[in-house]
Amino acid sequence: MFTISVDLKRENNIIHLTYKDIIMIKKEMLYRNPLVSLGYENEDILPVGGFGAVLAHAGVGKTALLVQLALNMMLRGNSILHVSLNDAVGKVDLWYQEIFHDIIKRFGIVEVTEYWDRIQPYRFIMTFKVEGFSAPKLEERLTDLMEQNIFKPHTIIIDGFRFDDAGRGQLMRLKELVDKYSMRMWFTVHTHRHEPPQENGLPLSFLHIADLFDAIVQLAAKGDEVYIKSLKGISIESKQNDLILDPATMLIKDSE
Amino acid sequence: MKTEDQKIRNIGISAHIDSGKTTLTERILYYTKRIHAIHDVKGKDGVGATMDSMELEKERGITIASAATYCEWKGHEINIIDTPGHVDFTIEVERSLRVLDGAILVLCAVGGVQSQSITVDRQMKRYKVPCIAFINKCDRSGANPFRVISQLKTKLGHNAVAMQIPIGLENDVQGVVDLVGMKALYFEGGNGEIVREVEIPSYLLEEAKAKREELIDAASLFSDELTEAILNESEISSEMIYTALRKGTLKREITPVYMGSAYKNKGVQPMLDGVTYLLPCPSEIENEAIDMDKNEEKVVLSNDPEKPIVALVFKLEDGQYGQLTYIRVYQGTLEKGSTIVNVRTGKKVKVGRLVRMHADQMEDVEYLRAGYIGALFGIECSSGDTFTSPEVNLTMISMYVPKPVISLAIVLKDNKSQIAVAKALNRFAKEDPTFKTYVDNETGDTIIEGMGELHLDIYVERMRREYGADVTTGNPRVAYRETITQRAEFNYTHKKQTGGAGQFGRVAGYLEPISDGEFVFENKIFGGAIPTQYIQACEKGFKQSMAKGPKLEFPVTGVKVVINDGASHSVDSSDMAFQAAARGAFKEAYLRAKPVIHEPIMKVVVETPTEFQGSVMGLLNQRRGMIIGSQDEDVMCVIEAQVPLAEMFGFSTILRSATQGKAQFTMEFAIYRQVPQSIAEKIALEVAQNKKSAA
Repeated sequence: MFTISVDLKRENNIIHLTYKDIIMIKKEMLYRNPLVSLGYENEDILPVGGFGAVLAHAGVGKTALLVQLALNMMLRGNSILHVSLNDAVGKVDLWYQEIFHDIIKRFGIVEVTEYWDRIQPYRFIMTFKVEGFSAPKLEERLTDLMEQNIFKPHTIIIDGFRFDDAGRGQLMRLKELVDKYSMRMWFTVHTHRHEPPQENGLPLSFLHIADLFDAIVQLAAKGDEVYIKSLKGISIESKQNDLILDPATMLIKDSE
Repeated sequence: MKTEDQKIRNIGISAHIDSGKTTLTERILYYTKRIHAIHDVKGKDGVGATMDSMELEKERGITIASAATYCEWKGHEINIIDTPGHVDFTIEVERSLRVLDGAILVLCAVGGVQSQSITVDRQMKRYKVPCIAFINKCDRSGANPFRVISQLKTKLGHNAVAMQIPIGLENDVQGVVDLVGMKALYFEGGNGEIVREVEIPSYLLEEAKAKREELIDAASLFSDELTEAILNESEISSEMIYTALRKGTLKREITPVYMGSAYKNKGVQPMLDGVTYLLPCPSEIENEAIDMDKNEEKVVLSNDPEKPIVALVFKLEDGQYGQLTYIRVYQGTLEKGSTIVNVRTGKKVKVGRLVRMHADQMEDVEYLRAGYIGALFGIECSSGDTFTSPEVNLTMISMYVPKPVISLAIVLKDNKSQIAVAKALNRFAKEDPTFKTYVDNETGDTIIEGMGELHLDIYVERMRREYGADVTTGNPRVAYRETITQRAEFNYTHKKQTGGAGQFGRVAGYLEPISDGEFVFENKIFGGAIPTQYIQACEKGFKQSMAKGPKLEFPVTGVKVVINDGASHSVDSSDMAFQAAARGAFKEAYLRAKPVIHEPIMKVVVETPTEFQGSVMGLLNQRRGMIIGSQDEDVMCVIEAQVPLAEMFGFSTILRSATQGKAQFTMEFAIYRQVPQSIAEKIALEVAQNKKSAA
């Protein structure tokens, strides 16, 4: 089920980590992964060429959830390209480090730096000015990386994409891109408080592109708690109730 | 000497290399009448700018050591520390920032916020130094001060607000419009010394009004009076705006931006006004010291000249009259003839000559009050030492000094050079805590260590020029380290019975890796298996072994030694025997503890036009670099990576040729990380070869 043996072979010169630790972290992260628990079937959540979206109001934790999802994949040896249209490289890096520290701390592991050093090569951060971002530009940068064998992402995260301004055409081009290179793509979608959700839970401004997405989840804050629910992508039988997340790690909170 | 605290400014001029800060300082000194002629950096007249007092700085056109100088502007006394802009000299920048109350962040109107500005800004944040910005080089083609202001906002997160708008740019640069006073300022006379204040040209009036609105809007956040005046639509005085801006600047919540061209003598005087209006005086800054008598409790110093003296040595220089000690007084008054104590050594010294510096000229003074920067003569001390009155035992918070990451062997041609080099090294090591030197016992070579290639290069050049030493250098060597990765037990008996007194000692226990700390020793012996008097000898023995790892003879770090058993002999055991036993035990367990080599990894930031992004990433990748990310910024792109120092030699030349000289990079130490197996084998081979050739 896990790819541990492959991982360790690749990094066989690092011997501080024990099989036990790695298995424990992976198991726990999978167990507490809100997307898997919501009923999404495979660990990657999305199929090859698939689109996923995390919807929430500002400040609820869209980026944090995707960073947690990314960390999960990095631990499994999958490469993540994190494209930020809001923040500088340093800030995005800090997001990862902080969430990773919080997760690792839960397991009482002190060798955080070593774990971090080990998974960091599975992540690449790109930042663009939001107005300067486009599918061809992303493809140009991606080819630079892939042709020289520097980095080939398994999943791309796009944080800060402006769905209001970008038409369906822009998304279609991104879809072609992920299809072409057999990747998956996650987006953060900023929803507005003044816009009441439709019957299926989606905001009106998102309806015309919702068909492009294979998985859509929504985050909502109630008091100090963050709830997650699935709006698209799981069968009715496997559908779970809303889950409560730990805002520091975006993993499922212990039931009290 | 003036004594009004409100009229003192201790400021630094920080910026990216080549953004023109030395030229700016030169102009400041000229307009404040400290110098009477202007010489340019890399000047054709062969004199060079006043602040670059070292010959080498003049030649390379860069500032290496920060010279302190002071000047007067409109009744204010301004102490200026000129800080180096290259990352290799970061310790200098950090030391300077420690003693500053405010800073001018100089930016290039074409280059904008470059990677070095980001480093310098981070340092300013760390020491909470309020700053104003000056966008220089508005005369250059491609100058766009408003683009730089927007970069200040987006890249550095400053709430930057324009205090002026330019009148003409590039070749046509004429002057600036002052948005507070709403006047146009032109700079006339041979060297721009006459500021002519006239009405704003009509074609700029609309823009000026709009920008003034923005300025007042930003300032109003810090003043109720100003907000009220806006709401009531009553008259807004310049004083109201400055008071509000000053409040915001001191809190580091707003960055007023001035602009001009120091080289073309435009816009320097209004910026000096800005320094006096907007940057803090010493009593507005809270400085802390540690009370050594009260369990290192933090104490807030008061800027009171009557209180006991607390002063910090922030720079040493060996001049023609002996050692010159740059000092900042934080509390009390340092008087000629008074007695002060060096808190680190406990030594009492009498203050002899006191001077205030103007680059390499000086002026004698009778005293230095709290808030002042000056220099002492003939006092033995090191950089970072605190001097106090005898009745207090306070020390300024010690500054973090990174360990050297690169070393270089220097070979001396003759005996005369040997004496000169000894003198030079002694001085450099005292002046710069990141510069270290020692003699390699095996090869007999003198080794110098520092923070980067350029750092060491400069010192070698200084040995040649200032001390006339004939030296050549070996290849730079990376400061590798060894550490262990798993627990290993030892049980070692040292026994010698070859005539005379015998030697006996047995130690048992284990080694284990630790991630925080270099060496930890723990004694878990109960029941006196090793008599207490020999425990220290055991610790010493283990510690000695750490200096040179049994694997490849690099220093060992991150090891915890626990001893839990042993044996002694009533006659044959001694300190020496247990030291030897500990060394033997370490050697025995070390190789079983799976030792690995660690190498210094540098944070490398390359700024390149986007068309070269791919090839720059390729270059970094070839050098075992791990690219953290890339940031697209219009036509430029910033790539951040972590690269082993060993792979960075000669990178500047390669980068230049790969990008037609259009990219630049900065590099600073980030972390020690394990060397991959294949490289470790190469290093082992190299070490073996070196050993062979040394033999």
